[in-house]
Amino acid sequence: MTTTFRNEPLLELRRAPERERLLAALSAVDATLPLAVPVIVAGSRRDEPSFASVDPGAPERVVANATSATAGDVDDAVRAAQRAARTWGATPASERAAILARAAGELRRRRHELAALAVRECAKPWAEADADVCEAIDFVEYYARQAVLLDAGPQLLQLPGERNTLHYRPRGVVAVIAPWNFPVAIATGMTVAALATGNGVCLKPAEQSPACALAIVDALLVAGVPAEAIALLPGEGDVGAALVAHPGVHTIAFTGSGEVGLEIMRRAADPAPGQRHLKRVVAEMGGKNCLVVDGDADVDDVVPALIASAFGFAGQKCSAASRALVHERIIDHVLERLAGALDTLLVGPADRFGVDVPPLIERSSVERVERIVGAARSDGATVHRVERMPAGDGYFAAPTLVAGARQDAAVVQQEIFGPVLSVEAVRDVDEACERIDAQAHALTCGLFSRNPRTIAEVARRTPVGNLYVNRGTTGAMVGRQPFGGNRLSGNGTKAGGPDYLMHFVEPVVVTENTVRHGLVV
Amino acid sequence: MPTTAPVEAPRSGPAPEAAIDAEVLELGRRLARRRPSVRNLSRVANDRMMALVARDPQLRAALFRLVDVAPACADADELAAHLDAFLSDVEHHSPPVALAARASTARGARHATGRIGFAAVRQMAGRFIVGETPASAAPALRRLWERGSAISVDLLGEATVTHDEGRAYADRCDETLVTLAAAAQQWPARPLLERDSAGVLPRVNLSVKVTALTPLIRAEAPERGRADAADHLRRLLRRARDVGAHLHIDMESMDSRDLILELVLELLSEPEFKAGPSAGIVLQAYLRDSEETLDGILDWAGAADRAVPLAIRLVKGAYWDHETIEALQNGWVPPVYTEKVESDRCYERITRRLIDVHPLVRPAIASHNLRSVAHAVVYARRAGLATHDLELQVLRGLGDDLQDALAAEGLRGRTYCPVGDMVAGMAYLVRRLLENTSNDSFLASRTGGAALDPLLIRP
Ligand SMILES: Cc1cc2nc3c(=O)[nH]c(=O)nc-3n(C[C@H](O)[C@H](O)[C@H](O)COP(=O)(O)OP(=O)(O)OC[C@H]3O[C@@H](n4cnc5c(N)ncnc54)[C@H](O)[C@@H]3O)c2cc1C
Repeated sequence: MTTTFRNEPLLELRRAPERERLLAALSAVDATLPLAVPVIVAGSRRDEPSFASVDPGAPERVVANATSATAGDVDDAVRAAQRAARTWGATPASERAAILARAAGELRRRRHELAALAVRECAKPWAEADADVCEAIDFVEYYARQAVLLDAGPQLLQLPGERNTLHYRPRGVVAVIAPWNFPVAIATGMTVAALATGNGVCLKPAEQSPACALAIVDALLVAGVPAEAIALLPGEGDVGAALVAHPGVHTIAFTGSGEVGLEIMRRAADPAPGQRHLKRVVAEMGGKNCLVVDGDADVDDVVPALIASAFGFAGQKCSAASRALVHERIIDHVLERLAGALDTLLVGPADRFGVDVPPLIERSSVERVERIVGAARSDGATVHRVERMPAGDGYFAAPTLVAGARQDAAVVQQEIFGPVLSVEAVRDVDEACERIDAQAHALTCGLFSRNPRTIAEVARRTPVGNLYVNRGTTGAMVGRQPFGGNRLSGNGTKAGGPDYLMHFVEPVVVTENTVRHGLVV
Repeated sequence: MPTTAPVEAPRSGPAPEAAIDAEVLELGRRLARRRPSVRNLSRVANDRMMALVARDPQLRAALFRLVDVAPACADADELAAHLDAFLSDVEHHSPPVALAARASTARGARHATGRIGFAAVRQMAGRFIVGETPASAAPALRRLWERGSAISVDLLGEATVTHDEGRAYADRCDETLVTLAAAAQQWPARPLLERDSAGVLPRVNLSVKVTALTPLIRAEAPERGRADAADHLRRLLRRARDVGAHLHIDMESMDSRDLILELVLELLSEPEFKAGPSAGIVLQAYLRDSEETLDGILDWAGAADRAVPLAIRLVKGAYWDHETIEALQNGWVPPVYTEKVESDRCYERITRRLIDVHPLVRPAIASHNLRSVAHAVVYARRAGLATHDLELQVLRGLGDDLQDALAAEGLRGRTYCPVGDMVAGMAYLVRRLLENTSNDSFLASRTGGAALDPLLIRP
């Protein structure tokens, strides 16, 4: 692990043979469906299917039959992880890193298959599915290296007669509660951050993406992570709740909705009987992300960036842009071109190259989008939508532009997690900043401006965790754009950044008096 | 008119390289010796300024940012505010910069500075752009023709992100073909420019960009853009055929390379285009796989049953920074060479192949590099090509002196002439300015005062 970190190369999908390889991998995956996803605790697998994940583009296609973890499974998994934490935690960081590097190799070897799985189970379009797998590999490689650095400990001030050392110890058991929208990357990232620092892990994947999670756990086990150190606990909210409440859990790493995140924090704050530690919560929650367009912006760049940020993966990224705050001088021009660009979007199944907007993850998401768009329309806002929609019973929602909505409308205020962009006129960048400042969320923000002073001023006053200048708001890269929000968007942790691992360790300082009878020994 | 001459054998055996190099040196010196004509004197001053700018990376960045943002500024005050912000990033102020910096901050001088800024940008744009519309450009095109240069018109425009924009661009191209066809009938005869050994060379020549014809270019799904662009391109090919014009399809970045090439060759194979129009494509020598691409094109040309040979414009490639950055950010092996000399060598290899296969295709050497140009001329001469069988192309605003020198040598040249307004032209202008001031560029080395002979030796 002496080489420096570099991001896993994306597939060069502009070359036809790369695309053909992916389509072949998809056929191979399809031939094995439905997959079986068991509960895995200490290496033993219990396969008694109780729920299923489906292809959002064709819900009659079952991707995986999964077994829901019981309260007993949760308890067993936490105890196993506690035991594992002792040995795994005592394993030198460099050895753990070497094992994780093998896991990265395993993910790399299976990258086409994993991308195909994300296409099927979560309807991620190919480029995004491939990026998801690459990001997972990046997290493994990056955190493994960071853990080795962290293990060396920082230098402390040393005076004659005393020896001071600081080192970081694993916290113990980490419960990972992962989302479906980056089914490979985020589940892998949180899990590997915990493992690299010597913790035992209980992974509860989203109920929509158990098969992707199984692939991750298998890669870790094949690579040599001790069986007790990683448990797979498929299921719904009750499994996550049981983990959060369990007195043996030390850290909860969560990515998901704000509602669930706040509930986790409340629960975690309350020590269970017999619990002798404070639980720590790493929470990445939603966003209501704005893209600010100043009057001097290059509209040729703005339109594609807005389209990609708002409608890529149908807006189901926490970083997606959902409000465009456009200088009043150019808003008519921007709106006209945006509407025209919206009409070029192809809505369809994720497995087709060239599809711009895939289906949403489930029916209730479509209903949420329709409710919010309907309310905006009856409130008098102008609504422009893609008209040509695919037939069939996939969970498709039409990409939508909403102009002139009231500031208190749901489309302006709420996180939608769907293909909807509210376009609003602002007097100037200052007014845009005030609107952003009024929000409870503070995850990402985009700014298009060609004046360095404007850029510096927005950077100074923005509350968000990630500000993107003259580009779209999505696609953070490990090691390059450490990612995470402030305010109600999260507790400021930065996935893929140099300080992320600090949430999975506890610092211990040892000070030894080296003076004996006036002599330094 | 279709020629059936053997494809392989060059007319005379390959010349010893040393002998070629001596002739190339001699021709290169002759081409360079021609002084800029009177019409180009303001450009000489402009070039001096560019040379100054090229030496200071921060100043260069400030100038580009100013040119880039100018069309988006509401008024002179806003432009001055930008200038002020850009200059505050420049650390060491030479006297003129210090003056400009003071003027763009001072309340009273601000408006005037902004207006001077606009005027300067407009003047720079005027150097590269022949007119705002085809009709208003027509007189300038005629003057070029009379001076001994054929033309190719390129319509500048905003990026195409909507179907309406794609249609509007196709409409403009269509109208341009009609307008210029009418205008060109009045031009005086220029035998050298109007015929090569394969036949007539159309006076009207339009360069089109496929990415401007369709908003559906998706690197990972070429079939979408191809289908959409095909309709527009067919319409333009028909018009070109009907008015007797040449249609040239420019090459852009790697993201659309395969799409463009496949689209054009496919359409030209359609029965309705068998008899015409004259058409061409572009080959970029900076691409590592350009020689394989040429294999494919020549196979196609050998099998195609068309009345007019395909024209191939050989360039080094205008998207080097884009390709390199994109590849680095995505972890790819860059599709372009990383050393300038590799592009230059590849350019010469392909030049020789294009000449060797004559008359299978019509070669057009598009470069401002005297070595690249002189090499092509000397090799073609030694291979036994008639003078009119080699076309040499330059860009308006960068290659005007070279074009004059080529005409004086009795060589057949063509000037690529962008047409459009300042807003539409800004992206083009910035690219040309970058090219003119980048360290590796032949032109920048020359305006910067580098000695000629070392630039003329074999790469
Ligand atoms: C009439 C005309 C039409 C054109 N049409 C097109 C077109 O359709 N598509 C297109 O892409 N370009 C086109 N070009 C631009 C052309 O590709 C070159 O960018 C430009 O002509 C500069 O090349 P040069 O030979 O004149 O100058 P030189 O100074 O000899 O070469 C500069 C070129 O070398 C290459 N280069 C620079 N640095 C490196 C490096 N480190 N490693 C490898 N290579 C490097 C780049 O291609 C750069 O443009 C056209 C040019 C002309 C004159």
